[in-house]
Formats: sequence, C-alpha cells, structure tokens
Amino acid sequence: MANGGWRIARNRGGAQLPIVLLAALAIALILIGKAQSNLFDSARAGVTDWAAPALQAVRAPLAGLDRWTASIGSIFNVYEENLRLKDENARLRQWHNVAIVLDDRVKRYQLLLHAVPDPALSSVAARVIGRANRPFLQTMILDAGKAQGVKPGQGVIDARGMIGRIFLTGDHTAWVILLTDLNSRVPVTIEPGNIQAIMAGDNSGAPSLDLLSQNVRLKAGDQVVSSGDGGLLPPGLAIGTVVADPNGGFRVVLLADAASSEDVNVVDFKLKAEQPPAVSPNDLPATAAGLPPAAPQAPVVAPLVPALPGTAPGTGPLPSALPPATQAAGAAKPQTPGVTDATPDAGDQ
Amino acid sequence: MERVGSIMGGRLLSSILPVMLGILGSLVANFPVSFVGGWVSPPMLAFMPLYFWGIVRPDLMTPFWAFVLGVLEDFLSGGPPGVWAASFLAAYFVIDRQRDMLAGLSGIGAIVGFAVAALVACVSAYAIVSVYNWTLLPLAPVMGELAVTVIVYVFAVMVFGAVHRRLVGPLRSDF
Repeated sequence: MANGGWRIARNRGGAQLPIVLLAALAIALILIGKAQSNLFDSARAGVTDWAAPALQAVRAPLAGLDRWTASIGSIFNVYEENLRLKDENARLRQWHNVAIVLDDRVKRYQLLLHAVPDPALSSVAARVIGRANRPFLQTMILDAGKAQGVKPGQGVIDARGMIGRIFLTGDHTAWVILLTDLNSRVPVTIEPGNIQAIMAGDNSGAPSLDLLSQNVRLKAGDQVVSSGDGGLLPPGLAIGTVVADPNGGFRVVLLADAASSEDVNVVDFKLKAEQPPAVSPNDLPATAAGLPPAAPQAPVVAPLVPALPGTAPGTGPLPSALPPATQAAGAAKPQTPGVTDATPDAGDQ
Repeated sequence: MERVGSIMGGRLLSSILPVMLGILGSLVANFPVSFVGGWVSPPMLAFMPLYFWGIVRPDLMTPFWAFVLGVLEDFLSGGPPGVWAASFLAAYFVIDRQRDMLAGLSGIGAIVGFAVAALVACVSAYAIVSVYNWTLLPLAPVMGELAVTVIVYVFAVMVFGAVHRRLVGPLRSDF
C-alpha cells in the first residue's frame, strides 16, 4: 500500500508540452460538445444496443441484490413504516372514492358542454435495464427503442408518476434523462391555481421550480403536473408535490422513485391539431332556409363564358355546395366583368 | 527465436497493461448497474491506474493516455464530452509536478496523496460542469464519488502493486 517501493521512470521528459496541447484539445472538445450536444449520441446508442443483451443478463441476478441493498435502511424502521402505510392507505381509499365521484361528474359536465375530450394516450411498456447515477448525470436505460416506436422527447412514467424523458434512442434501447438531472427542464402546472412554472433538475433529489410569474404564491403541498406546453408531453401527468426550499424558493418532491422503478411506460403523445367539426347538410344556409340542398358536383374547369345578361358582375348566386368559409372567400373575390368564376354554381345547371 | 517472440510479446503486454486496466476500470465503473441501490456514485476506477502508473511508470501512462481515458469516461458516462478528459489531465499535471513527493509516500500518506490527486480531478470536473451549465451544482454527489474512490483505492493499490511487480516491472533504464 505504498508508492515508496517503486522506482520512477525518469527518461520520459518533456511531458509539459503534451499536457498543454491535450488540455487545449480537451477544452476544444468541451466547446464542440456545447455547440453540438449530440456529438457522441449515435455512437452511444450503438454501444448501448450492442451491450443490451449483456445488460439484461447481468441485471437479472443483480436486481435482487440491488433491491436488498437499497432496502437495508428500511429494515430498522419496519414497524413505524407499516403503521404509516396503513394510515396512508386508509386516507388514499377515501380519496379513491372521491376521485371516482369527481371523475364521473367531470364526464357528465363534458357531455353537457360538448367539450373536446382529452386525447387518448398510447404507451410502450419497457423494462429498466440500466441506471447511471453519476455526479453530473442521472439516467436510466430502457429495453425499448426505435423499433418499438420510442422517440426522443417522449415522457417516461411509472405507476406513481413521471420519471423523465427519452433523450437518446437506439434500435432497441433508449436513454432516459431523469427529472432530477441537471439538464432536465419540464414545463409544469401547479394546482390549485393553474400556476405555470418550469421544473428544473439540479442533480439533487428534488428539482427546483422557476415560476413564470412573480405575482403568484405557492404553498407546500400543492400538486405539480405536466402542463403539456410544447406538445411533447401530455398535460396532467402527475409529477410531485411542492415543498419549500430552506434556501429560498420552492422544490418538487417527486412521486416516482426512479431508483426503484423496474417497469415503466413511454408515453406516446402526439398532439393532433384540433379540427373544426365537419359540415353536415343541415348546417348549410339553403337547408336552413327550407330549400333542398344542391347535389354535390365534381369540380370542373369552366370555359370562359360571358356573364349572363342582366346579372351584374359579382352579384350572382354563390355556389351553395361550398362550406360557408369558401362562400365568404368567393364573395370577397373580385369578379372581372365578362369572366365567371371557374367553379360553376348550381344555378347554371 | 520463439523465446525472443515470447519476450517481445510479454513486453508489449506489460507495456499496455496499465492502459488496459484503465480502460477496464472505465468500462466497469460506467456499467449501468448499481450494486448499492444507487446510493452513491461509482468510483473513478479509470483514474486509479492513471495515478498509480502515472507515478511509477510515466513512460507507460503518458498524458495522451490520460486524455484517452478521460474521453472514454466521457463517452461511457453519457455526460458532455471533454469534461473528464480535461479533469484527468489537470490531475495528471499535478501528478507530473509532484511525482517525487507522491512516489515517496507510503501507508496512509500514499492514500492521502491519491486523495489529493482525485480531489483535483473531481474539483476540475465540478468547475467545468458548473461553468458548462452556468449554475452552481450541489457538491454532495461529487464528494460522494471522491470518498468512494479513495476507499476503493485502498484495496485497488494492492492489486496494482502485485500487477506491477509480476507483470509490468520497473523501466529497464532505471537499473
């Protein structure tokens, strides 16, 4: 356990210059990495894909050991923990009943208001095959990748709440950046009050909250959910609870425990553009006026014909088969004397 | 002729062994499986051979290999590139300047010497990442990694000593 017994090789010489050059190279690498953050990404994804079978093979026997070592601390307070869980379970059962009643009420209100329902979420179930808990990076590796439809940016949740986001995908593996990671930024909503904020990880166990408005007041116990801003994450994903930071500000105690999650879901959320409702024949002005709707016609290019005698330019009947918006556009379109609209109207037939 | 080839092969093996141990350490430390439930960060296994042979055989563990091991650490850890490369070089600079003093340490002193070099690497990485993200990071994780690294080095140095005696050996020109 000593270095004293070793003779030092002295004939190396001139090490200072290479150190300076290599240090410059390392700094250049840092700057390039800052400008192009995905410098290593494709290679990393390839290596992870290649190592995935080994990860799965090694992970299986170690999972039990992992859980056992992680639970050593809880052995000494099993009794108190059991009492606390029973109490919590009783309260959660009450909340469960309340949630069922409120969910039913919300559905009835949505039905009465003809509200647009929340988009359905699909998800990809994945198993955690690796975790990297480094001082400057907190990630996990999943056994689902591009082949399963996983894409960067998608949210990762477990049974309790959100864990993180996908930031790198291989063919059969994906890297998750945890909510606690330094590089994690998630737009969130704090309830009650619909307060918007950005939840930022800083490698501590509880991410901090950057409020978007200075005129709001938070209090410990408020609920934090994803806001859905940006369209990558669905709104309303449970994230955590607000607590006061002793150093000022507020932090979020996460509901999910990424260290113990084994099976997760990658939420596939595609925010579809909201489409106006389709026009039915009953919505047409002619029908509303009690007239029979015109038969739909295939659009044809009409030859240039002179305007009907006695019809002032621009005052002819609008094609009734077009949606109101098109009608308005047609009405606004200036008509050249002697030239009719390219689309023949019903009155010409 | 066969013996000459064997000797040359053995010499080649012994000359690349320190670097190979560094690469192996980087692979093991960054293998994404936690043995302790994610309580603490894994030790900087790649830094241990870098320190040990950076003192006793700097002709085998050159600044270039310090840079390579750092880049490998960056690549495997998933962090921004160049951080550990620069940090290992900063620690190597200290080792290079204080080689005589560090090589003369023994017992607890040798561990303290390693701890100082590892501290230089950790503080460098902490400073670089803090500037990189323009925020002051919590110190606890990096200090945890430093503590685990120093504890593991107490046992690793015995292995390195045995490997050095049996396989690597001192530089021939030193005799």
